[in-house]
Amino acid sequence: MNISTASVTVRFGAVAALQDVSLEIPSGERRALIGPNGAGKTTLFDVITGARRPTSGRILLAGADVTPLSTWRRARLGLARTFQRSALFPTLTTAENLALAVRARMQTGWRIWPSRMERTVAMEVSSRLRAAGLAALAQRRAWTLAHGEQRALEIELALASQPRLLLLDEPMAGLSGEERQAAVARLRSLPPHVTLVLVEHDLDVVFAVAQRISVLDHGVLIADGTPAEIRADHRVQEVYLGRAD
Amino acid sequence: MTGLRRARLQRRPLGLLALLLFLISVPAWAPNRFWINVASQALIFAIFAMSLDLLLGYGGMPSFGHAAFFAAGAYACALWALHRSPDLLPLLLVGLAAGAGLALIGALALRARGIFFLMLTLAFAQMVWSVLSNNQLAGTLGGDIGLIGVPRPVLPYVPAVNLFQAANFYFLTLVVAVAVYLALAAIVASPFGRTLEGIRENEGRMQSLGTFTFRYRLAAFVIAGALAGLAGMLSASFNFSATPASAFWTTSGLAMIAVIVGGSRSLLGPAVGAMLVVVLQLGLSSLPTPGLAEHWQLLLGAVFVAFVLFLPGGLHGLVRGRAA
Amino acid sequence: MLNGLAFGGLIFLLAAGLSVIFGLMDVLNLAHGSFYMLGAYVGLTVLSLTNNFWLALIAAPIALAIIGASVEVVLFRRIYQRGHLMQVLLTFGLTLVIVDLIRWRFGPQTHSLPTPPGLDGAVHILGVPFASYKLFVIVFATVVAAALVIVWRRSRVGAILRAGVADREMLGLLGIDLSRVFTATFAFGAALAGLAGVVVGPYLSVYPGMDESILVLVLVVVVVGGLGSIEGAILGSLLVGLANAIGPLVLGGFEAASIFAVMAVVLLVRPRGLLGLRQ
Repeated sequence: MNISTASVTVRFGAVAALQDVSLEIPSGERRALIGPNGAGKTTLFDVITGARRPTSGRILLAGADVTPLSTWRRARLGLARTFQRSALFPTLTTAENLALAVRARMQTGWRIWPSRMERTVAMEVSSRLRAAGLAALAQRRAWTLAHGEQRALEIELALASQPRLLLLDEPMAGLSGEERQAAVARLRSLPPHVTLVLVEHDLDVVFAVAQRISVLDHGVLIADGTPAEIRADHRVQEVYLGRAD
Repeated sequence: MTGLRRARLQRRPLGLLALLLFLISVPAWAPNRFWINVASQALIFAIFAMSLDLLLGYGGMPSFGHAAFFAAGAYACALWALHRSPDLLPLLLVGLAAGAGLALIGALALRARGIFFLMLTLAFAQMVWSVLSNNQLAGTLGGDIGLIGVPRPVLPYVPAVNLFQAANFYFLTLVVAVAVYLALAAIVASPFGRTLEGIRENEGRMQSLGTFTFRYRLAAFVIAGALAGLAGMLSASFNFSATPASAFWTTSGLAMIAVIVGGSRSLLGPAVGAMLVVVLQLGLSSLPTPGLAEHWQLLLGAVFVAFVLFLPGGLHGLVRGRAA
Repeated sequence: MLNGLAFGGLIFLLAAGLSVIFGLMDVLNLAHGSFYMLGAYVGLTVLSLTNNFWLALIAAPIALAIIGASVEVVLFRRIYQRGHLMQVLLTFGLTLVIVDLIRWRFGPQTHSLPTPPGLDGAVHILGVPFASYKLFVIVFATVVAAALVIVWRRSRVGAILRAGVADREMLGLLGIDLSRVFTATFAFGAALAGLAGVVVGPYLSVYPGMDESILVLVLVVVVVGGLGSIEGAILGSLLVGLANAIGPLVLGGFEAASIFAVMAVVLLVRPRGLLGLRQ
């Protein structure tokens, strides 16, 4: 699913968190979104998912204007995201966390009587637990999981909605090298038609995964291009790469 | 399998059976009618507390106005029994419908969360209370006296079984209470109940997974309101009256106490908590010693404060060994 | 009209404390009504011993400040981490205990404080007789309100409190001991409630249960005016006081319902209240 933002601006009082941001991401692309802390990356995700209304500008999903739509409606169009700080269901078990996501996708959460669908849900949950490497932790409550396990569950929750557009907000933050590899492999297993937007500070991951990179600084989109072009861009080096070195 | 469907009924059949047998046996060993009546009131309050647990425990919606729906059921049934007929089945439906209907109006409060939800529901219930106790409407609602002379319901098919008899009425409340427990247990174990818990835990995440969360919160609010109305119906029948005090905020507060003392998110816990509150209240007031008799509130309040401070998991948490 | 102002003044004394406690500490203190009742009974006791109203007016707030501080230190400090609901329920438990203690000690009957000498007459305003005690309540509440506003807006203490309402974490960053500020705020709010309890004595009646009937009205004032705002509390009190006085004439007995309706509307439209500070 392709996504574009048209002149999106978000103001908090006098401060502009995003200023006239226009992005165009075609279907199936793996796009990285980078920039220093406070550049507006998470705010942009919030605006795309509907968690925050833009002060002005429009959001288009698959060509349709979704700016007035609420979060859950956009999610049903095939939009999923992960959160920078894991947004789990802390007192529910790992399996129940995933079951909620699967039911939400199948739209069977409304049922009061146990139905045959529940068996399908349970089967999908166990296969996802295995794929995410969480099978042994199925009955643990989410808040008792280690950080890396929570991040894996965080990603798996988003994948369980079988998204056509997936926004990943620093999915690798705080992960060990091994966990990082597992997460990258899990993301690689996504079907090629899924559009991926990745906010990530680890530039090795960014340059390895992304086909194109967009750079935000102080709410302004300052560059947009292939990894090679971004590496060569002077302004990017100044505001971002320069500092990273 | 991943053990998703651990129906609560299967998890502790023995304790449940014991409790049920105990409740069935009450009229057999209760020393006199007074104590059977205490038991009836305890069960009515237990129904009320269980309905609140759906909102508070499972839905994470701290309603401080739940008494409004209780009163709606009580008044609607009092009016129905006084002016239409005392047949039991329509009365049960009227109680449910009145609670649900008022809940649809009170659902405005669902726009808020947390402490603001609490205050909105409180304001809503006080509004209901002030209308009920308004003497300008004494002609229909009885003003601050309420509606009195409400007849006991008449059983269908077996009108000979007289519900004026304390034990008979007790068994009626027991049947209703068991039905409400089973219904709520099924609801909280169902996909709907699970989704409701997901919304309590993290509403934003449920939305970004594609769930229209308002619909679930509304449904829970209306179901809880309907069951509270059912409790109100039993209360009006039992007391032969419906009074405005039943809508006052302290009634809601007592139900909250019952839920917390019993342990929220367990249905049975709040039911037991409610029974304790009622037995404490009526039991102490029946004691011949004047010292303790009038001070059930003191004892209840102190017990409650102790629970809040030291046992946030309530009785249920104590039994299941997860007091923290 | 003047009746409304007098009632509004009384409500204000209660609302100011409740509002600042809520705004600063995020505690919805249902026991605030109980503090008010305790104040009335302290006043009653002092009056019966000394027969001096003014002494009672001084003693009650002092006693309540001590009670309030102890409640904060002994009970609340344990559960700040536990969330709103537990705090509200704790205060509800306290109301049950306090009302019963009062009933135990003083009995269930209704008391009334004698009107202090000099204020027991009537004043003629535009030819209409008006109890001078009510006039005193109005003046007294106005003076307290003015003093509070000045402290709130102009003094260092006020600045600290306002900063705390807007952003509690900022106080910590400024190197201010939060727990002392909390204790002091709680004590001060309780003292104001105690003051209101004495003031109300000669005007409304004193009985166990006086806390329940007034608490919800005060809550309405605080919510309508804006949580943690002194000016909001003044505005809200005036509105509720006047609604209470004029309502019966205009709304025919539905003034109580309409007050709660106003609260519901304000909460829905402007959750921070009319003059709320919090972002």
